[in-house]
Amino acid sequence: MRLNHLSLTNFRNYARLELGLSDRLTVFQGANAQGKTNLLEAIHLLATGRSPRVGAERELINWLALESSLPYARLVAEIGAAGDAPTERLEVVLELARTPAPGGGGGNGPVVRKQVRINGVPKRGLDLIGRLRVVLFLPEDVSLVAGAPTERRRYLDIALCQISASYCRALGEYNKVLSQRNALLRRLRDEGGDSGQLAFWDDQAAEHGSVLLQRRAHAVSELNRLAAERQRDLTGGAERLQLGYLPSPDPAKVIASRSATGGDRFAFETAAREQTAGWLLAHLRATRGRDVAAGSSLSGPHRDDMAFTVEGHDLRTFGSRGQQRTAALALKLAEVQMMREATGDMPLLLLDDVMSELDAIRRRTLLDALAQVDQALVTTTDWDDFTPELLAQARRWQVAQGALERVTA
Amino acid sequence: MSQTLARPVSNLIELLSRLPGIGPKTASRLTFYLLREPNGLAEALSTALAALSVGTVLCQRCFNIAEQSPCPICADLSRDQTLICVVEEPMDVLAIERTGAYRGIYHILHGALSPIDGVYPEKLRIAELMERVRVGEPREVILATNPSLEGENTAAYIYQQLQTSGVSITRLARGLPVGGDLEYTDEVTLSRALEGRRSM
Repeated sequence: MRLNHLSLTNFRNYARLELGLSDRLTVFQGANAQGKTNLLEAIHLLATGRSPRVGAERELINWLALESSLPYARLVAEIGAAGDAPTERLEVVLELARTPAPGGGGGNGPVVRKQVRINGVPKRGLDLIGRLRVVLFLPEDVSLVAGAPTERRRYLDIALCQISASYCRALGEYNKVLSQRNALLRRLRDEGGDSGQLAFWDDQAAEHGSVLLQRRAHAVSELNRLAAERQRDLTGGAERLQLGYLPSPDPAKVIASRSATGGDRFAFETAAREQTAGWLLAHLRATRGRDVAAGSSLSGPHRDDMAFTVEGHDLRTFGSRGQQRTAALALKLAEVQMMREATGDMPLLLLDDVMSELDAIRRRTLLDALAQVDQALVTTTDWDDFTPELLAQARRWQVAQGALERVTA
Repeated sequence: MSQTLARPVSNLIELLSRLPGIGPKTASRLTFYLLREPNGLAEALSTALAALSVGTVLCQRCFNIAEQSPCPICADLSRDQTLICVVEEPMDVLAIERTGAYRGIYHILHGALSPIDGVYPEKLRIAELMERVRVGEPREVILATNPSLEGENTAAYIYQQLQTSGVSITRLARGLPVGGDLEYTDEVTLSRALEGRRSM
């Protein structure tokens, strides 16, 4: 599928923007803080329902619009499949609601309400995901390797949600169940009570959590295979990258798994989904006392992680900044490939000023990847990051203070 | 509220806007409508509102809201007193009564278990249900809580508590809406309907 048109109203520093994007390759050039990243952020939000930048959602609304009586931002993407398939219109409206909190109290100030429409029909946020699939490359991707486990889980979740609606649903349900379970565990710790109340939440956590464990295990093994190839290209065969899934609970460490599977180690890759659910449930029951004492769920896919190793060395602790950056790039390139294999369709590539951080060989690998995709949007501060041949194929825009100007010649 | 409005008017607007689903705009529209309405609607409304707390009690058997205890449904001996339908809210009783297909009695929990919202078993009429089952020895308890996460949790908890009592426990079936279209049914509902299929 392709992104044909982007329209923004009051989004960040864009008061109004209508942008045709029919070309395969589009490059946006501009100095810092002119609005290049905001364009990619808008597309990411339309594709996944959330901004890649974490922080207050109200900042997404143009600050001048915030002064008006009805502050809102509107993002619209027109996407079309190849050939003569009808185009789809994805729309996200962010509205600053001034409604006070229920109960008539002062409340927590204004909240941002997000409304999703697809072809003009109101839909749930969930329905948006997976229609326009994107892979976003950011300079801060290095934190996928060097940062906290949350970032890696968030990364896996966004990638997998775009591939599979059932994963996305399981994730939503799991998170709901987890907060209920944690609330109950806190109460059982502080005030005691019948721990039998946990039974239902254990069942539900196992039911939905097993989907997450299995899909993630499968995805990481795919990414491992694909990223190793990309790493070879990126380092001229000098380094062998390995990705490992660190699930929670980890079958390698859990004793309960031995009794449940008759001695053999439990493996998500070979188990049926129901078996994984049964295994997870057995673990949750076996560790219930620990969870109650802690007043929170100590194990489960919400504690998963992913390991990056090169020749047995953990890159998170032992990798140089350059190695971490290369591994993150290999991961993202692997994700592009994984999405294509899983959906039969090339995702849209969004590259935010990543060229300047890379050396010649890594740049060339990335440009090779660009040459293979159906559509890519790239930002840069410097035209010289790209070869003249590449620029000749691209539609070029100059970005200055929330306005675009076509560059020819 | 601004000083320009008469105190009774601003008071009513403020009170109405505390109601669920009513914002300040609707509240003021309602207030001014009541102010001008010629047929004594405001007086009738104020009488009705006053009667709301004075004139109602909780039925001490099923905990429905009624004018006296036991409520007309519990007092109706033509109904099957050995069949108890457990629901979350009084409104659910109305829904089931509208079907005309149910001739048993009810038990109203007044909510669903939800740890996040601080709703634990002791906040609901669950102990009272246990007592009813123990004393009354009904032949069947129908769990008709909502098919939401919290409703399912409530049903599972009550089931767990009643398991040893020997009473037959059933749960409302989940599946396709009548007159609905298979093609447009969401995956979760459809897979539940498949699980709950029946032989013909």
